[in-house]
Amino acid sequence: MPNYWRKVFLVYHKDIRDEFRTFDNLLATLIFGAMLVFIFSFAFQLVELQSQQAFPAVLWVSVFFSSMLAIQRSFAKEKDNGSLDALLLATGDRGIIFLAKFLGNFTVLVVFELVVVPLLWMFIGVNTVGSFDIALFIASLVLGSWGLAAIGTMLNGITIQVPSARLLFPILMFPLLIPLLIGVILCSHAALVGDRASVLGWLYALLAFDLLFTLVPLVLFDYVLEG
Amino acid sequence: MKQIRSSILFWVLVVLLPLNIYIIFDYAPVEKTMGIVQKVFYFHVASAWIGLLAFVVVFVSSIWYLWRRHHRINNVALASAEIGTIFISCTLLTGPLWAYPIWNTWWTWDPRLTTTLVLWFMYVAYIALQGGGATESRKRLAAVYGIIAFVNVPLVFFSARWWRSIHPIVVSEEGIGLAPKMRIAMFVSLATFSLLYAYLLHLRVKTLELQERIKMLRAEAGR
Repeated sequence: MPNYWRKVFLVYHKDIRDEFRTFDNLLATLIFGAMLVFIFSFAFQLVELQSQQAFPAVLWVSVFFSSMLAIQRSFAKEKDNGSLDALLLATGDRGIIFLAKFLGNFTVLVVFELVVVPLLWMFIGVNTVGSFDIALFIASLVLGSWGLAAIGTMLNGITIQVPSARLLFPILMFPLLIPLLIGVILCSHAALVGDRASVLGWLYALLAFDLLFTLVPLVLFDYVLEG
Repeated sequence: MKQIRSSILFWVLVVLLPLNIYIIFDYAPVEKTMGIVQKVFYFHVASAWIGLLAFVVVFVSSIWYLWRRHHRINNVALASAEIGTIFISCTLLTGPLWAYPIWNTWWTWDPRLTTTLVLWFMYVAYIALQGGGATESRKRLAAVYGIIAFVNVPLVFFSARWWRSIHPIVVSEEGIGLAPKMRIAMFVSLATFSLLYAYLLHLRVKTLELQERIKMLRAEAGR
């Protein structure tokens, strides 16, 4: 078992090093996210909409859209470099590859949010009157990124296998994310108004959702990366 | 034998489809408060039922395909998804027709409406993943997606329900809230649509098989 996690860590380490060394993919994702955040808050200002109410919605729509860019390359680069087979041979277990890629995508999403959340906070000018629940807000970010990374990794593994299906990635991914979207938006909204009691059930539901979509791909991944 | 069975099904449907229309519009009484608009209910519920049934068939045949790898099973899954999309589209179109006069809105984010819409998106994505020229890998990956998408359906439903609900609940634990004649009309509708689904599924699977055969014969002739 320690060997199993060591392999997971090695593949994860390789991906993260690659991600931060080449930087172009991460940079593109960050810029795209910043742009989305800017366009959204700008568009709301134009019609003088109460943008503070829209903060959770704008935040998560931006994260969901940007995650397409962030996650899209995790398997595509292996495929393009022809290193997928080597990776399969080296690890000998497709579950390891899934876990490592999932952790890599999760890390990238967290880094992305560290940049985009303060930016959006500034643009929209959120002012919370002392009741801001930061622990709940961080929990919603973590649970949201977890689910996003798990589903995204799984579907990226599917779409890179068919050359003409790469464009299908968002179409396959977004319907699966609907329960997650409802949960994280409600949780981060509750965090803004400091109403933790009303969303405790949602936190457990999100956790269950994340666990489910981490375990189901682990089982099915043998069929995804076959041959 | 198979030929006979499908032609029997065809003639049963030739009788049942007009009969179903007759029962819906003449036999079943007009609803007191909603009036004639309520008639759309018999189509709406029956198509929604077929949509769900078709999705269960996709799920079961996806698992079966991953297990046994019979091409025939994948054809069943694909055909079922295509027919399901058409029926779910009917549900999504007939719903607003009824909702506008009754709820005074075309659309609302009720769990059933939300789930049906997400279901429709997943069906379309599934069909797109299968693609036109189904290779072995496309079939396998679509089967994986068919399984995950099915797991997602109850999740969408319960998360949306937790959030809000205004859809009328006709069938509940206390029984069916319908007049006896309406109940008969609903069951006839459900039965007719189910037979129609079975017949369409049979036709579509046959077509897909013939397409594959043509492709094979072409490849052989070209060699």
